[in-house]
Amino acid sequence: MRAFNRRTEDATFDLNLAPMLDIIVSIVPMLLLSVAFVHVTVIDTPVPQAVERAIAAANEKNKDLVQVSLYISKNGGRFVINDRGQVKETAVAAKGDKIDLEALHKETLAIKQAYPDVFRLELNPDESVPLEEIVEVLDQIRTTAHGEPQIVFKDENGQPIETNLLFPDVIFGNVAGG
Amino acid sequence: MRRSRRGFAKYMDKRLPATFKIQITSMVDMFVILLVFLLKSYSTSPVNITPSDKLTLPVSTSTKDPVDVLKLVVSKTGIFVEDEKVVDLNDGVLDVKDVDENDTQFIRALYTALDEQAKKSQNIAAVNEEIEFDGKVIMQADRSLPYDLLRKVMYTSMMAGYSDVKIAVYSKQ
Repeated sequence: MRAFNRRTEDATFDLNLAPMLDIIVSIVPMLLLSVAFVHVTVIDTPVPQAVERAIAAANEKNKDLVQVSLYISKNGGRFVINDRGQVKETAVAAKGDKIDLEALHKETLAIKQAYPDVFRLELNPDESVPLEEIVEVLDQIRTTAHGEPQIVFKDENGQPIETNLLFPDVIFGNVAGG
Repeated sequence: MRRSRRGFAKYMDKRLPATFKIQITSMVDMFVILLVFLLKSYSTSPVNITPSDKLTLPVSTSTKDPVDVLKLVVSKTGIFVEDEKVVDLNDGVLDVKDVDENDTQFIRALYTALDEQAKKSQNIAAVNEEIEFDGKVIMQADRSLPYDLLRKVMYTSMMAGYSDVKIAVYSKQ
């Protein structure tokens, strides 16, 4: 009986948490200094370069040339599609004092379905358009929304490829005196 | 007297010890939760934003992580190249004297600062083969600034050799 009592006494013990607490207290201030409560990402917007454009144009001399441009202002938007010399224009209405983003997305989707292998879009915002609105427009024209059909285009070997990208390659067309 | 001494000794024996243990288990629990939260929001991103009413980035669905390149900040109070103010702005408006007379899109002070940075990068690239000057710049601009000002900034950076402009945004996710 005495031996049993001794064993039960030995089985319980106090875990010394003091060193663990020391470590945590040292780590917490270090992490507090490097904590990020907002996640920053980037949007690629390369500026057109005359030389690069000339090289690209020369490379695609024998290919079908389709250029899609989007002009945005406080009065709405306007798509200009240059399809091998034939120019087509489509207007996007304004909602209040800014472009109707829903209508813009629908129009972008329609253009993409007509030209699935074109990924570059030239954006020409008006001088008064704020950056916030430009970014909203970029979000609408970059990818398809959740639940929308995928875009199917053919690669170099003629194999069909599905993607949710609309016009991810956006350049500001009017930066250099446009 | 003898009896009282014996009573005092008995009392001292029965008394609780002077040293005691603090119950730190709950405190450790709290710190572990805090540690897990901080580890989840730990960031090694090269772009660090100090929130201010003069610089609020736009919000986007973009998920592309920023890269460690030249940082250009355009706030309502000024244009900064690598945290150094190069041009003053009055609530997002550029002073006429800062714009070139012959080219209204050209901001001379900004060009000088960017050109200096480009030369520095090119000199490093000349001696270190692993580093290449690719003309990339991350632009952190206030969301309310008009495209007119941003176009001038992008045009000037293009003239200085920084033609690949990346716009920093807050992630919606």
